[in-house]
Amino acid sequence: MSARPFEYVGIPRWRRRATRLGVYFGLTVITITMLYPFWSMGSASFRSYDQWLSGHGFSLTSWHDLFQQLNVWQMLWNSTLITASAIGIILVVSTTAGYALGTLRFRASTVVLLVIVAAMMVPLQSMIIPEYVNLAKLGFINHYYAPILVYAALGAPFATFLMTTYFRRLPEDVIEASLIDGLGYFKIYFRIMLPLAVPAIAAVVVLQFIQIWNDLLVGLLFLQTPQLHPITVGLATVGAQHTLNVPVLMAGSLASAIPEIIVFLIFQRYLIAGLTMGMSK
Amino acid sequence: MKTTETSAVAAVEPVKAPETRARPRSRRRSGPLAVKRQRAGIVFALPVVALVGSLLLYPTGQSVYYSFTNWDGISAHWIGTAAYAHLFHSPGFSQVLKNNAYMILAIPAAVLVALGTAFLIDTRPRGWRFFRSAIFLPTVISWVVIGSIAVQFFQDNGLLQGLLDHSGLGMFHPNMLSHEGRALVAVMITFIWSMLGCNMVIFLAGMATIDQEIYDAAKVDGAGPLKILFRITLPLLRRFAQFTFIFSLIMAFSGIFSLIFVMTGGGPGFGTTTLEFYIYQEAFSSGDFGTAATAGTVLFVAIFVISMLQLRIFRGND
Repeated sequence: MSARPFEYVGIPRWRRRATRLGVYFGLTVITITMLYPFWSMGSASFRSYDQWLSGHGFSLTSWHDLFQQLNVWQMLWNSTLITASAIGIILVVSTTAGYALGTLRFRASTVVLLVIVAAMMVPLQSMIIPEYVNLAKLGFINHYYAPILVYAALGAPFATFLMTTYFRRLPEDVIEASLIDGLGYFKIYFRIMLPLAVPAIAAVVVLQFIQIWNDLLVGLLFLQTPQLHPITVGLATVGAQHTLNVPVLMAGSLASAIPEIIVFLIFQRYLIAGLTMGMSK
Repeated sequence: MKTTETSAVAAVEPVKAPETRARPRSRRRSGPLAVKRQRAGIVFALPVVALVGSLLLYPTGQSVYYSFTNWDGISAHWIGTAAYAHLFHSPGFSQVLKNNAYMILAIPAAVLVALGTAFLIDTRPRGWRFFRSAIFLPTVISWVVIGSIAVQFFQDNGLLQGLLDHSGLGMFHPNMLSHEGRALVAVMITFIWSMLGCNMVIFLAGMATIDQEIYDAAKVDGAGPLKILFRITLPLLRRFAQFTFIFSLIMAFSGIFSLIFVMTGGGPGFGTTTLEFYIYQEAFSSGDFGTAATAGTVLFVAIFVISMLQLRIFRGND
């Protein structure tokens, strides 16, 4: 990684310097464009409405008002509960399926995998209306488990695919050795395969966390009572019940983004790995 | 990230399958152990089949069926292709299709800006990790948050107007969100902005696959940086450019419901109603579930065709 293509030795020094300066300039402009909105969100949230209008000052009024007017903790809890449960289900079905399709490869596994790949292409909006009607008939609306199940079904195909390709790369010898050691296929899954799959599991967890935490539509349709609203639904529909001024709304946005920013900072590596999995050789 | 992240990532994956499938299969195909293995495989595959089958594929099938009916959520009568004729003659639907077509125009920008940024970062200046993280950050932020920030930016007397005033362009009052023709442009700009990080990371992954030796060889042959860029780096990144293009397209068509919901609510008029938003509006504002299912099927077919295109491109290249 030391010599990048642009650090070409034959170029005169001043041109190299100019190039580097140009690179910094370009990156700085882009980075400011990317971060400025977040800075403006943060700074607005620490001002009262009057201070925000005048453009300077510091106050916690908006944060205070936010917690007065919206049940932020409840919403964050709802989001956490839904996200965690859905990820739990996704992990169970995707690791077992990955083991079945990637390692055991029973006779119909190619067909099953093909169907799973096809399922990944279904856009949410194309199935959500029959889904809504089906679950409404079962009386699932306004229960946590409705969005949990829907998110699990939406996330499972990709997670399964990722697990299958991951398990496929594990050598067959591992299985044969374990069989000789007298382990059955169930024990091999629990004792050998799951521990080996930790990197893939991490990628699935991070990707799904961001996806589910950020989603609006499923929560909007399946959880209509305000007490059950996840944070995204709470923020997106807040205009209907209260009139929040801009600084308060920005405080709410920041509150919903903080868990994501934390996850991003800690697990960025897995996120990038999951996103680009299969792209690089 | 946002709604269709997974389906988009998935779209890459067909590339991988043919490569990995080459691995030799288990030698034993019969015998008690093989039977056990078959049985275990079926048992372990059951949960995902049950979940995806009942909650994803079944409603998709229903949607296709109901797309030929005048379904109101309770009863449905088969009206055949008349349902599609009805959809395409609905007031506003041509505008909806036009909006989707306009969204395609945002894709080259979303790809090229990301490609340029990736080049800058790939020169590895000091602190490139910081730049990468900062530019990637919006990828993890929900559309709801991005949308409410974007509203502050684009609305009348918002930040954009402030910038114009300060730079002596105060005579312009774009007031983008309340103008039927301009609101979509605001959505497109926000979309490009928030796709930058994700596409950039994909390009960076692509650049990391290029062997340093190729560059060294080119340098020995006397190629300058621009020649290297156009003759080596860009051709080798073709696959990744195609992927980001299709990924962004799928996002633009089926992944920005929440952004539109928060920024404009589909308006003014049908100004920012894309197909995915139209489905929601038909079903849950107008109560016309049948038309919504028809529109949903149109979207499904569109995404499916785009994904297939992607598959073909990848198969063709390798």
